[in-house]
Amino acid sequence: MQASQQIYSSPKKTATIFLKNIVKRDKIIIANRGEIAIRIMRACRQLGLDYVVVYTEEDRCSGHVRAATVEKGEDAAFKISNYKDPNEIFSVADHCGATAIHPGYGFFSEDFRFARRATVRNRPISFIGPRWEVIRDLGSKINTKRIAKFLDIPVIPGSDEPIYSEIEAEALAEELFQKQREEGIKRPSILVKASAGGGGMGIEEVTHLDVFRQVYRRIQNYAKRQFGDEGVLIEQCMKDYHHLEVQLLCSRHKEVVHFGTRNCTIQSTGRQKRVEVAPGFDPEYVHYPFDAAKVLDEIVDYSIRLAKEVEYDNVGTWEWIVTRDGKPYLLEVNTRIQVENEISACISRISRQKGPVNLIKEQIRTALGEKLRYSQKHITFEGTSIELRIVAEDVKRGFAPWCGTITRFEFPQEPWLRVYTHVPHDEPYEIPTEYDPNLALAIVWGQDTEEAKIRAKDFLTRTRIEGEDSLGKPIVTNLAYLKQKVDDVLRFL
Amino acid sequence: MDQKRILDSGKYLNEFADRINYLADIKGGLEWGSLKELLQRVQNLRSNMFDLREDELFVELDQIDRRLEYMEDLVAQDLSPIEVVNIVRSPQRFTLQDILENCYDSFTELGGEGECNIDPAVVVARATITRRVKNKIYYHQVMVIGHEKGYGEEFRNGGCAKPWGNEKALRYMKVAETEGIPIHSYIFTPGAYPIEDYPGAAQQIARNLFQMARLRVPVVAFISEGGSGGAEAIGLADIRLMASRGYYSVISPEGAAAIEGRIKEGGKVPRELVEHCAAQLKMTAEDNLKLKTIDRIIQEPPLGARRNNFGFFKQLRYEMVRATDEVVLQTKSFRAFRSYALKRQGKEKDNGRTFNDEFDIHIKWSLTESEKKRLVELRSRKYRALGKGYKELRQSVLSRLGHAVESVKQNYYDIRYGLLRQHSRQVQKLIEEVSSEGSVFLKTVTEPVREAYDFVFPKPKVANGINQYDPLRKSIFMQEWEQYISPLANEDKTVSCPNAEKYGCKDLWVPDLYGEFSGVCPTCGHHFPLEYQWYLENLFDPGSVREFNQHIISANPLKFQGFDEKLKKAVEHTGRRSAIITFDASVFDIKIVVAMLYSDFRSGTVGSAEGEKFIRACDRARTTRRPFLAYIHTTGGIRIHEGTLGVIQMPRCTLVVREYIDSGGLYIVVYDNNSYAGPVASFLGCSPYQVGIRSSRIGFAGPRVIRETTGADVPPDYHSAKNALKRGHIQGIWDRREFRKNLFEALMTMGGPHLYYK
Repeated sequence: MQASQQIYSSPKKTATIFLKNIVKRDKIIIANRGEIAIRIMRACRQLGLDYVVVYTEEDRCSGHVRAATVEKGEDAAFKISNYKDPNEIFSVADHCGATAIHPGYGFFSEDFRFARRATVRNRPISFIGPRWEVIRDLGSKINTKRIAKFLDIPVIPGSDEPIYSEIEAEALAEELFQKQREEGIKRPSILVKASAGGGGMGIEEVTHLDVFRQVYRRIQNYAKRQFGDEGVLIEQCMKDYHHLEVQLLCSRHKEVVHFGTRNCTIQSTGRQKRVEVAPGFDPEYVHYPFDAAKVLDEIVDYSIRLAKEVEYDNVGTWEWIVTRDGKPYLLEVNTRIQVENEISACISRISRQKGPVNLIKEQIRTALGEKLRYSQKHITFEGTSIELRIVAEDVKRGFAPWCGTITRFEFPQEPWLRVYTHVPHDEPYEIPTEYDPNLALAIVWGQDTEEAKIRAKDFLTRTRIEGEDSLGKPIVTNLAYLKQKVDDVLRFL
Repeated sequence: MDQKRILDSGKYLNEFADRINYLADIKGGLEWGSLKELLQRVQNLRSNMFDLREDELFVELDQIDRRLEYMEDLVAQDLSPIEVVNIVRSPQRFTLQDILENCYDSFTELGGEGECNIDPAVVVARATITRRVKNKIYYHQVMVIGHEKGYGEEFRNGGCAKPWGNEKALRYMKVAETEGIPIHSYIFTPGAYPIEDYPGAAQQIARNLFQMARLRVPVVAFISEGGSGGAEAIGLADIRLMASRGYYSVISPEGAAAIEGRIKEGGKVPRELVEHCAAQLKMTAEDNLKLKTIDRIIQEPPLGARRNNFGFFKQLRYEMVRATDEVVLQTKSFRAFRSYALKRQGKEKDNGRTFNDEFDIHIKWSLTESEKKRLVELRSRKYRALGKGYKELRQSVLSRLGHAVESVKQNYYDIRYGLLRQHSRQVQKLIEEVSSEGSVFLKTVTEPVREAYDFVFPKPKVANGINQYDPLRKSIFMQEWEQYISPLANEDKTVSCPNAEKYGCKDLWVPDLYGEFSGVCPTCGHHFPLEYQWYLENLFDPGSVREFNQHIISANPLKFQGFDEKLKKAVEHTGRRSAIITFDASVFDIKIVVAMLYSDFRSGTVGSAEGEKFIRACDRARTTRRPFLAYIHTTGGIRIHEGTLGVIQMPRCTLVVREYIDSGGLYIVVYDNNSYAGPVASFLGCSPYQVGIRSSRIGFAGPRVIRETTGADVPPDYHSAKNALKRGHIQGIWDRREFRKNLFEALMTMGGPHLYYK
């Protein structure tokens, strides 16, 4: 239980470690909300950095505002009209003399224009994230795919640039079908996407070459109407795969280290992650029809190769899919800190560094220009960590979000457990309808996968959430769903 | 008898009143001299006519007559340009109706008469004009087309043709061409009516000019009131005559004064400034003859011809017939006959004045096919020689050598893309025919032939327009235009999109807007203006822009007061010497010739230098068989400081464009920002492929001129590219960000068969 003590040890004990190195004058503006804002605040505290938070009218009761004002006073929280208005955020930054901005995830975290503006404006502000050029170049899946192909990194078979000609498109579609048949795939299919689209809009699956032309034209027209660009992408439709991630940390001094892999295969129908686990595969826990350790090494190596090529310089996640026969394909790169970063931190130990690993802290340090002061050989891994996302949603009705007021929110306190929530424990909390109804993140650690699973279930069993909506009906959460899904982790079903 | 004389004196008095009013018209009011007092005397006399003794009455009439004659002489001795303008504007001046009645023997109005007319400001008539040769009368059929100002009738609209009026003129020009009869056009217009109904004032004038450039019948024009673009709509003639008291100008003196004095809308324009401008614009017949924008002056009485100057009409008829003869004879191949026939015919008569109505011989006005060809050739030659009010800088020996190279080049291109190309097409056709008929069996025969053929006539290299992957340039976001960043982007501030209220556009950070977004609002697509350099850098293949004819520079040919300083300022401001840049460039490896009018230099106005450079660029495109792009960053119209030397660029350039298009080229016009007036109404508007960049404005006259002319306000989007598209002026709207791609597509898919890469 040594490791778990590390996770849960008080931040105050470790706060002094880097104080002498970091530029203390830096002041961070946290341009986000909810649990990530709280985690960034904690990292700042550990680094001894001053910070301010922003909030909107709907969020005035949110935990991040309370925590900030309790610690730093009323001046540490600024009300803005919209988290997505850069002008407002920059004027708050200027007003309070912030020197760096942490975008969290979502909002501006992958907006290279925002990052660029922060760095090139008259009063520059450090953007806590990669260089804006990197955000821009890896922000496009097509572009990432092209660079990857150039570096011999496997990508999903298909086009690596928008196609405008029907003849070209049809030839490629035929080729993809042919290839799948040769590989013995029983029901080959391809995806036709609007290249300017995203978030699932303008995507259709084609299972038969005969209907391809019709679908192609439909998507092309849709793309032209919707995005003003009729470019279309075509790729093989992958089924039956695991969704893996590689966590990298790079510095401005060309240092690259990784913090292992994660498996995020368990997702809601809307492709929202619900249960994540680190490491990505565990051959000791379950048998794979391929050499799982080798695949993990491969995707880590590929990820580092790409990071070095683009001179990546902050935290980043390389998303991969691995098929049942153990073939990895690079999907995309997330140039930001992710929700599930902490399960990677949980299973990592840095031999030169006391205390638990905190990737957000490392992110801020590297963004402010510090060196890592450790290398890959100092990083070791121990145990399994599972993240559970507790959401007020109706799993049986297509994960529909639930709105209402939470009256009771209780969860156990354990040394192997960490829970992040912006929901207060001591007063009723009305879930703002403007944002996702995420209630809490729970991170569980175990010596091995089996133990982590048992602890995760234990946590879920002992968690109490009560509340009712405006009609007096009781709260609906995904606790039961999570409990059921914990059994499925790391397995090809 | 006495009674009769007394009754006649009423008529005299009316005539006196007319003459006094006429003088008042010329002098700008009754305040001049003793006109008021004289008019009072006439009015008194009229009321006391029967109370006076007869001899007293006659003495008084005589006195007034003599006084009037004296005053008329005085006025006639020293007519200032503004007074000439006043003569032209006087309601007592002759109109087209008078000419039709007095110069032609019979006429039938086409397209309506009087108020019942598609446009009463434009009169078209099939007319007969006669010629007497030794007491024998010969009849000629002609098409008379002209403006009718009317005698104050409101429906005539002061002779301002609406777009459909000019369309009517064009329609009957074509009829004349079909029937092979000459056209006599009479210009009596202060300007075209500046409304943008279908297809727009500018567009219709451009269509007219485009047709007239190659009209295969003689055209003779007579100018009494030549108001800029309105005049040109029917004025592209083989011979241009002008009334001695007419004016022909780029703009009304009042309009020029408002611009020169920077008078705000509704403000009063000082009279002195108007007079000054009238003098500076060089608008009288003598001035225009000196500038060669007209060929001959028809003498009027000293104070201008009025409705009852029958002598003048007689002379006008003679001159019209003679001018038509001249045009016809020039096309004949017998030189001796031509010179004999062109000698001034008839005898001197009438106090030594040369008007006459008798001819020595009869000349038929119909032309043979070869004569028609020559007619069009001569017309081209005539206009090419006109309007040369620019300066040429001394060129180095090297660039003068260029001229020699140019003529060699012409031959090279003729052979390379003319003869050889034609031959290659025939060979290709043969191969296609043979291989389609001969099936597989014959393929063995044709294949080697085809290979050999491909070797001799390799297809020109044309790069694939869509991004090709270049591993060194990893980002697809790195657009071509990010290599040049507008200086506008160097400011850390935000601006609001003008459509923010309508579309909810977010405020735009200036470095983003003028950098990555190319000045386009990403939400609504509104285009913010960008400097012309942006296009130079981003539209063409890097390093492919090669400017030429920089030695042709704008000058001040009319010695317009104060313009030298303005010109100097423009030169200092831009580092350039004219408002047009002409250059060779390539777009995805297709070589093109470009003419670019840009706003920084005198608002992109067109004068002689601009016209000449445009023409030379167009000719260059023709000889090298390249596509010709006119990119209009902005044009404010014809440069008023060059007067009719500027106006004449309209027919001039249109003619050259027509020749280029007829030669099988591709002429693309792209309007950006603001494009108005003369150039749009001629050499730009005549292109079959006109495109507007989004958020650009295209039209004939700006909102202010429209309000001042029509008295009605116009909606704010009246001139928008969208409306230009709706009214049928332009053929499409391009996004600035897709300009390069669209241009490439246009180059590949449009245009005639004689482009070098087709």
